[in-house]
Amino acid sequence: MNVQIDVRKVVKSFERGGQTLRVLDALDLQIAEGAFDALMGPSGSGKSTLLNLIAGLDKPTSGEVLVAGASLGALSEAALATWRSRTLGFIFQSYNLIPVLTALENVELPLLLTNLSASERKQRSRTALRIVGLEERMGHLPRMLSGGQEQRVAIARAIVNDPTIIVADEPTGDLDRESADDILTLLQKLNAELGKTILMVTHDPMAAERATTVHRLNKGRLA
Amino acid sequence: MIPVRYNLRSLIVRKATTVATSLGIALVVFVLAASMMLVSGIERTLGATGRADTAIVLRKGSDAELNSIIDVQKVGLVAAAPGVATAGGAALVAGEVVVVATMQKLGADGVTNVLIRGVTERSASLRGALTVVDGRAPAPGADEVMIGRQIRGRFPGVDLGQSFELKKNRPVKVVGVFSDGRSSHESEVWGDLDLVRSSFGRAGMVSSVRARLTSREAFDAFRQSVEGDKNLGFEALRETEFLEKQSEGLRAFVTALGSTIAFFFSVGAMIGAMITMYASIANRQREIGTLRALGFPRWQILASFLIESVSLALLGGFVGAGAATALRLVSFSMMNFSTWSEMVFTFEPTPGILLGAVVFAGVMGLVGGFFPALRAARTSPVVAMKG
Repeated sequence: MNVQIDVRKVVKSFERGGQTLRVLDALDLQIAEGAFDALMGPSGSGKSTLLNLIAGLDKPTSGEVLVAGASLGALSEAALATWRSRTLGFIFQSYNLIPVLTALENVELPLLLTNLSASERKQRSRTALRIVGLEERMGHLPRMLSGGQEQRVAIARAIVNDPTIIVADEPTGDLDRESADDILTLLQKLNAELGKTILMVTHDPMAAERATTVHRLNKGRLA
Repeated sequence: MIPVRYNLRSLIVRKATTVATSLGIALVVFVLAASMMLVSGIERTLGATGRADTAIVLRKGSDAELNSIIDVQKVGLVAAAPGVATAGGAALVAGEVVVVATMQKLGADGVTNVLIRGVTERSASLRGALTVVDGRAPAPGADEVMIGRQIRGRFPGVDLGQSFELKKNRPVKVVGVFSDGRSSHESEVWGDLDLVRSSFGRAGMVSSVRARLTSREAFDAFRQSVEGDKNLGFEALRETEFLEKQSEGLRAFVTALGSTIAFFFSVGAMIGAMITMYASIANRQREIGTLRALGFPRWQILASFLIESVSLALLGGFVGAGAATALRLVSFSMMNFSTWSEMVFTFEPTPGILLGAVVFAGVMGLVGGFFPALRAARTSPVVAMKG
């Protein structure tokens, strides 16, 4: 098994009101290349904190996070930003689409950090929208789309730069059951057909069932 | 780069704050452009028709024609100086007397000073742009005057075909209206030299002597000759230099007033732009966090929000400059401190002034938007993950 995400003895602490809060406590976690894993646990168990560390959005207090061969603790903030743009695709609970940009323009955003020409960027963005079944809505603003459609646009944005890993934070948290099922089916398809490694944080047991492996966190440790 | 349309559309979405902030900046640009246009108008009025090959001679120490007195017998010495041009065998020289008369303003309370110039038949030809646009020139020796077009109808009797009292019990008839390239002469009353001198008790004297020179290079020799005789006590200036001095005080006053107002307004406008941008950025934390998570570096976020702030300011800049341009239709009278007489000025918009005012707006946007943009650039990408 090729380990793509390797979390080694990671500690993450926060200062709150003069007290040190240890959110992750010497945590170890390995995720294989091409896996579709879910992280579950009660509120405050450290799921989102762990996802932030794996996604290079935050740095651990101690320990090491190796993702796709990069030791994230050793990278500068600018290098981390570049690394994120090339390696990761993000899916957020609230979709996080830019409200004043159309679906196509939202999907195109990660490609603005590449050297691709404008026509290539448009072409790729259309392809990504076609994969999620929304090519005909590419000129629509987010407010003209349903929640499920917005999340599908967000998935198109997450895959448009062909990342090796997709991190999803409660991707079905704001959706009805039917839309949630569609999104989860789409994620399974991306994992099975495009070989994307997917790490999903979720509270939803039905969502977690779609993952191949479920990791349960409790008080900053794997249960 | 983050597309500019993101910033422009964000401004459109926040219509009310965009319009309010832009109007604040527009007001500053309007005030700044208006004061610059007024200075330009003053320069044009007081200096537009000056010629480098025309000299003006005053009594030494006089900074204006109004307080200069020259014995009329000495005008001939100026005419005989080297470098003076001739026409038909006669030197192109005119001794003129300048006085002010108090007149009642029409349609307003109070009185004001109007400049009266006693001229010879050579005087008009020494002003290249002077043309009688209505009526005719006054006849020599007659109780007739012509008036500059800017004061036409501004005082009782000061209009073509009407009469007014040049001095108490000294009525004169207005027989002509003249233009002079929008110069200060257009705010004057011109009458025969002897008529003005006798009316104001200035017999035997003139205020200044104007002389057309053979070329602009002839001025140095002319001045050396005229100023060389210390007994005469003359001072010779190029007409361009003289007119520039005349406008100095007024120009400095308007520039100082306009700049002071614009400075204080601009501080307010910059604070307004800053508040708008801070509020906008606070409402878009998740958007900014998302851009950071997607990999956009801090400097691109900074540049993006600076572009937004500058765009907001430029919108105000164009509105303010556009509104200021409409001032070209407005003319108004002001006291000219060098002659203590009322003079009519217009606003003179130039491409340089309008461009400068818009650039100033851009600078306001840049300064006002810098700290909010810096805050945006410092947004943690973790913010994107918060629901």
